[in-house]
Formats: sequence, structure tokens, C-alpha cells
Amino acid sequence: MGEFFRRIYFFLNQRKLDRELAQDMAVHREMLGDDRKDFGNPTLLAEQSHEALGWGWLERLVQDLRYGFRILVKNPGFTLIAMLALGLGIGANTALFSVVYGVLIKPLPYTQGSQLVVLKQTAAAPMKGMQHNGMASMNNVAFSALDITDYRKQTRAFSLLEEYHSMGFILLDGQEPTRVTTGVVSAHFFDMLGIKPLYGRLFNDGDETKESDAVLVLSYPYWKNHYGGDPSIIGRHFRMNDRVHTVIGVLPPVPQYPRENDVYMTTVACPFRSSPMMAEHRDHRMVELFGRLKPGETVESGTSDLGVIVSRLEKTYPESYPPQGLNVSMESLRTRLTEDVRPMLLILLATGGLVLLIACANVANLALARMMRREQELAVRAALGASRGRLVRQLLTESTLLSVGGGLLGLVLASQCLALLVTFVSRFTTRAAEVNISLPVLLFTLTLSLLTGLIFGAAPAFSQRTNLVNSLKEGNNSATIKTDGNRIRNLLAVGQVAISFILLIGAGLMIRSFVKLQQLDAGYNGDHILAANIPLNFSKYKTNQDNLFFFDSLKQKLQATPGVLGVAFDSGAPLAPGSPMNQDFQVEGQPNTDRDGMQQTSFEVASSNAFRLLGIPVLSGRNFTDQDKDQAPPVAIVNRTFARHYFPNEDPLNKRITPDKGKTMLTIVGVVGDVKQFGLDKDPVDTVYLSMAQFSMAYTVLIKTAGDPLNYASQLRKAVFSIDKDQPITDVKTLDELRGDSLAATRITSILLALFAALALIIAATGLSGVTALLVSQRTREIGIRLALGAQRGEVLAMVVKQSMRVILIGLGVGIVVALLVSRVMSKLLFDTPPTDPATLAGVALVLLCVALVASYVPARRVTRVNPLIALRAE
Amino acid sequence: MAKNEMLPGTLGMLVLRVLQPGALHGYAIAQRIHTLSNDLLQVEEGSLYPALQRMLIKGWVRAEWGISETNRKVRFYKLTAAGRKQLQSEMTDFGRVLQGIHAVLNKA
Repeated sequence: MGEFFRRIYFFLNQRKLDRELAQDMAVHREMLGDDRKDFGNPTLLAEQSHEALGWGWLERLVQDLRYGFRILVKNPGFTLIAMLALGLGIGANTALFSVVYGVLIKPLPYTQGSQLVVLKQTAAAPMKGMQHNGMASMNNVAFSALDITDYRKQTRAFSLLEEYHSMGFILLDGQEPTRVTTGVVSAHFFDMLGIKPLYGRLFNDGDETKESDAVLVLSYPYWKNHYGGDPSIIGRHFRMNDRVHTVIGVLPPVPQYPRENDVYMTTVACPFRSSPMMAEHRDHRMVELFGRLKPGETVESGTSDLGVIVSRLEKTYPESYPPQGLNVSMESLRTRLTEDVRPMLLILLATGGLVLLIACANVANLALARMMRREQELAVRAALGASRGRLVRQLLTESTLLSVGGGLLGLVLASQCLALLVTFVSRFTTRAAEVNISLPVLLFTLTLSLLTGLIFGAAPAFSQRTNLVNSLKEGNNSATIKTDGNRIRNLLAVGQVAISFILLIGAGLMIRSFVKLQQLDAGYNGDHILAANIPLNFSKYKTNQDNLFFFDSLKQKLQATPGVLGVAFDSGAPLAPGSPMNQDFQVEGQPNTDRDGMQQTSFEVASSNAFRLLGIPVLSGRNFTDQDKDQAPPVAIVNRTFARHYFPNEDPLNKRITPDKGKTMLTIVGVVGDVKQFGLDKDPVDTVYLSMAQFSMAYTVLIKTAGDPLNYASQLRKAVFSIDKDQPITDVKTLDELRGDSLAATRITSILLALFAALALIIAATGLSGVTALLVSQRTREIGIRLALGAQRGEVLAMVVKQSMRVILIGLGVGIVVALLVSRVMSKLLFDTPPTDPATLAGVALVLLCVALVASYVPARRVTRVNPLIALRAE
Repeated sequence: MAKNEMLPGTLGMLVLRVLQPGALHGYAIAQRIHTLSNDLLQVEEGSLYPALQRMLIKGWVRAEWGISETNRKVRFYKLTAAGRKQLQSEMTDFGRVLQGIHAVLNKA
């Protein structure tokens, strides 16, 4: 160990030690006397002795760095271009990797997050109709309160099984009424996740009995934003659902799963969950279920454990289970939270990697070209005794210096655009909140920088010629073609063309999908329509009449506003975020069992003029009328998909269906066109529309306006507050905006891919230009000879262009083959576009060809300016 | 071997050995080896100083300032405890190798 410190001591004091050594040797020489002055070369001796200290490598490194730095500063053009190309490449990869790391790699920020699972119940047989829709996820069945009680009692694999659902309630804290997203959870939900409160306490068993007072836990962001992070919030009373709720705790700033909520309450405080209907009926399945596996248990053992329990319960309560039974499955919480975003992130990361590869190839090409000019310098150094290894090290040091510079630039770029990327990813996963530039990301960037330095530095360093004599003779070989270097450069150019072609294909496919989605007929006309949610407080508006009175007053007030062309109500605006509210139903005369078990459909409520306002055609039968009132026989209108699935060979009109086992019989009076209510890329779902006059729960107001719909937002607010000053209004957006939002993910993915592809194309084009330019300058003399012998300039130009065309075509060929092989990975992101779409392929190839031709033609044109006389004398 | 180079690897051992009785400066080390070997061995200055540097780093010798016979300020190299141990082990090793070489030379 002592040796290590001595080495450091020697290193730090090397000047002094060198002086002392010199003195020793001087004395030595004196003492040798006159007869033996041949002490040797004192400088060499001093150097050798100095080497013995063992710090030579570091000193050489410093020398190399210093020299490399000087060289780079002396070539600002090359340095700038190379750093920029590498910086863009590394920056893109750093930003993408920080997202991939935060979302896909980092463990959940919970105690033993790997033991947390999401449970899923599916009907064993796919429900009729669902096959047509191709929406397998729709036979998901939620859990009922009684299910969960039994699972908890009988399970052996789970230490905790906790339920969760999320609802919106109105919170009155004495200021403005606010609609809060409320997580309704069982008592040990936070214990399961392993979360400790920031202030106060979290829920316990005492909060989940019928006699318990209603208590609230606030999320960290809600507490910060609304109560300024005031710890005295504990014990405050709020009014929600006509009850007093007491704040008992604040959550720490951890990411919330499965969703971000403003506040949390226990199951007994939620009016729906605690209603006898929910609490006592096994087949009212509406909540989600999460579990913590006991140590040592796995997803498999947990699944079989619950499977046994479910089949036992099926025998006990046959009426609450579909004939084919329910399957319980589970996946780890981590997988569930990231599965939507995984394919896209990985594709983006791969794209980023390819861009970096192109940048590397390009910089390598530049460096190779520069090498030719430096050959003499290197030859001189070699002649003076620099070893080949030393020269290679020098060149690698230079390239690493460049790439680390590029890496720093990339880091700056990445930190600038990370926020944008996070907003984008947060559409898919709540884990987006955990993304930042952390230590692993920095390590990744550093590794990437060093690696790129090695990759693009290797080509010039090892193509270095050993033939000193030739290089020393100036200009000796410029007339002969250096096939060796050219082959590497052509190969690099081919690679660049191929990779940019692949990237262009990816972007092209994505853009094509996007355009298709954008032009898609969604089944309605959303022109000039403003939509807003008015979630009536159901503790205040208890009956249909209360609701209808409110909405009628609102309608009258709005219609009196100049510029308002129509006002309609619906239970949800088309393409607003959300998923269908599916409910069981039966068709009169068709036994349920004939339909393979459970059958579900989406139920919507609409006012009589909603179809007309939205331009949804009534295909047969009639629209709702004013006669479909409270006391009149309940009616329903179904969409075309529903009619096709359940009445394939009959007229659905005047058939009756029931959502509650015969208590309510709905007569079908009309069939309307399909609407892509839940996503342009999803097929329309089976839908039954109920009349608002009979089932008043249509909380979305749609206003058709003459001018810009957003100009009417303030009028809407005024109208609502004049009727009820405690009534919140949310999600005020035009239908066009909603449609745009629903495409945001596809749009941003397209933009990102297009950006990458454009970047790749530009880099590749400059690369091609460079290769051609070099070719021309190398062959100046040959071209001069040709011209002198009578060749036409056009012919010579064609010859040069043909040579670069070969590179382009080979690159294109390689690109097509690879693209056909790998484009399948994109199919998950595409809509109505096969990954091998010939139109895209052809279009992209054409674009690339044009760009490549221009890129090689411009420098090739220089041959036409070659003056044979000067060219021949140029040597 | 007229001018008598040293067996490779033995210079360090010889330096350590001549330093055993007491500290010497560089020239004196070379002189002492020369005289003790009956003028058979000649220490090249070019190898002496690098060797001394190495030994300084290894911690086998320490350098102290002193005054030479010619009244010049010069470093005297002094054996350390670690150096003593090193010398012991090198001498044992060398002895064994020498025995082996002798054995082969005599019997073959």
C-alpha cells in the first residue's frame, strides 16, 4: 500500500525530484573525472530515470490530450460539425434513455415493488360480439366487494389484497367548489404499497367500518397546490357528497399508482361503493384489485391460489358467475404500468441509436478524409520515433476528445428537451414523473461518448498506413487511387444510406398512419361544437327531475345567447378520454346462455337533439322525441354495430332489451350510425343510447356555435353559475380539440420519428457529398488527362455520379432488405398500414434517391470546372 | 565480457548489498561495486539511476541529503527495513539459482 502513496508523492513532487536526480548525476559526472566524460546522453538518462517513476502513461495521455485539443481548435470547421453531429446523436439517446430508465428499468419506488401485482378477471369465453370488435380487453370484468372479501379470507399466497377505484367528487372547502379526482381504496391500500405519511396518518381498519367518520388523505401535489403545503391541514373539515370529511394525512411526494388522484377516501365514504347495491351484490363488479404477494410467492403461484378460490365460489354462487366461469390472472404492477409505452419507447430508442450510428459513420468519414491530409504529419512523427501504438493512441485520444465534447453538448440538449418528452410519455404511464437525468443516465451518456469516440476513431486510426517513405514524399500518390481508404469510406456511405432509409421508412409508416387516422370518418361532425362536463353534485340533485330542471334551465339560458345554434346533452363527448361504461344486458326472448355467457354493451344517454347536432344519421326507426318522458315506456336507440351483432337477421325495431334482468324493459325505437366514441384507432363499440328525458345522467353539454366555439366558454360559465354557484365545470374543449388530443400520441411519435429520420437524411447527405467531393479531388489529375485526351465534360460528370450512384443503390438495397425484416416491430404503432406498405416504401426510396443524387451531384459538378492544363500541372 | 556487464536483474541486489553497511551516494555505489568485484563489474550509470528511482518508489531505499567528498551537496541512499528484507530474499533466491547452475555445469 505504501508504494501507492509513494507513487503519488513522487508524481506530485516530480519537478523537485527531477532536479535532485539531475544534481546527483552532475556530481557523478564530476567525480568520474576527465578520463570518462562519456557518461552518455544526459537528457536520455534523465528521461529513463524519470520513466522509472512509472507515470509515463499519464504524462503521455496529458500530452496527447493537449496535442489533440490543439489540433481540434486548429480545425474549427471539422470540430464543429463533428461535435454537432455527435451532440445531436448522443443528446437524443440520452434523453430517450433517461425516459427508458425512469419508466422501464428503474424498480418501483415502493417497498419490494416486485411483489406487487394487478389482478384481472376475465370471462372464460369471449362474449358474443367481442370477437367481431377485436377488442379482447372488453371481456375484462372488474371485482365486486363480496368477491374481494372472500378472496381475502381464503387466499394463501397474498399478504394483502386491496381494492381501488377512482371517481370524481365535488369538494367544498369554503372557497370555490372543486371537482377532485378521488381514489377510493380499502384500509390497507397504502400499507400494501409501503407508503408512509408525510403528515398525520394514513387509513387503518377503524376508518373502514359502517360507523366510521369519513376521512381523507391528500396527495402531495394537491396539498401543495391548493393549501400551499400547510401542515395544519390535518384535522380540517371539508364537505363532500353532503358529508363532513376530515383530513387525516398527507401523502409523501411519491408517484401515485395506478393513477394520479387529488384525494383518497376509504370505501365506506364513497356513496356508490357503500350503497347496498354495490356492497351486497356479488355481480356488481366495479373495482380494481391489487395485491402484495407473500415473500416467496410468484405470479404463477398467486394465480393458481386465486383460481382455486374462484372455482370454489362459482360452485357456491352459480347465479353470479357466467356459465363458463371467470379466469383470474395477474401481472406485476410494473409491467402493467409500462406495457402501453414499452413498444414505442423501444422503437424510439432504437431509432436514436441508428441516428447515432449514422453520425458516427459520418464523423468517421470526415476523420478519414482529414487523415489523408495529415498523413505527412504522422509520417514525420513516425520517422522521429513515434511508435505505431503511440500514433494510434494519439488519434483515438483526439476522437475521444471530440466525442466527449459531443457528449457534453448532448447532455445539454437532452436536459433541454426532456420536459417535452416527459409530457409526451405521461400520456401513457404515471411513471413519467420519475424521469430525470440521474446517475445511471450520466453513466450511460459517458459510456456512449467513449464508445462513439472509439467507434469512429478506430477507422482512421487503423487505416493509417505504415509505409512511411511513400507518405513522406509529398504528393507522391495522389494520382493513384487509394483503394484501401476508399473502400472503407464507401462502406461507411453505404451504411449511412441504408440506415437513413430504414429510419425514413419508420417515419413514413408512422406519418401514413397518422394521416389515415386524421382523415378517418369518425361517424360524427364535430365542426364548431364546444363540449364541457357539468358533473352535477348527486347529493344535491337527487332525482331525474332535479337534473332535468338544471339542464333545461341551462339550455334555455344558452339558447338565448346570440351565436348559439344548438344545445344538446350527452353522457360523453366523442373522443373525450375515457373508456366505455359497459353493463350487462339481455335481449327479450333471447336466453342469455345462447350468447356464451355474459353479454355487455356500452350505455350512453343522449338528449333528443344530440344526434342531429353531431350529424349522426338515424338509419332506421326514429329519434328520441319529447314524448319519451319519465312516465312513458322507456325507449332505446342502438348503433349499427349493436344491431348487427344482436339482430343479424331481424329488424331490431320494437325489440326489447333489459339492463337489469327485466326490471326495466327498453324498447328499441331507432338505429343510428356508428361513432368512434373511444378512439379513432378503435372500432366502434356496441352502444345503446337512452333518452335523456328518461335517464337524466347526460352530464356533457354540447353547444353548436356560429363563430369560434371557445369564445362561448365564458358564456357557458356564466350560465351555469347563475343557476348554481357551487357547480363546477370541467373539460371545456371543442370537439376538434378532443379529436386532436386523441391523436396526440400518434402525432408526437410521428413527429419524433420524422425528426430523427430527417436528421439521419441530412447527415447521410452530407456524408455522401463528402465522399464524392473527395473522390473528385483525388481524381483531379486523372480527369485532367481524360479531358486532355478529348473526353466530354458530360461524360466525365456521368462517370463520377455513376460511381456515387452505386453507393446509393447498394445502400438502398441493403436498407430495403433490412427494413422488410424489421419493420414488423412497428406494427403495434401503426393504424391500417401494413409494415411493408409498398406505397410508403416506394415514396421513401424516391425521396432518398433524389436527396442522394443532389448530394453527390453538387460536388461532382466540380469536375466540369477542372482545367486540364492546371490539373496536369497540379502535382 | 571484458568490460563485464552484469547478469540481468542482479544490479538491484548488488546496490542493496553495498548499501547494507551504510548510506552512499550514486557515484560511491558504482565505485564500491566496481572495487568489491575486483574491477570485474562496471555499473553503467544509465542503469544505476533508473534502478535507484525504482527502489525509491518501492521503498527499499531512502534518499537523504549529504555532502560528497568533493564538498558537493548530493543525495545519499540509505537502506530501509523493507530494503533489508528484499536484499535477504533476493540473495537467497540468487544463491539457489547459482547452486542450480553450478550443479548443471559440473555434472553435464
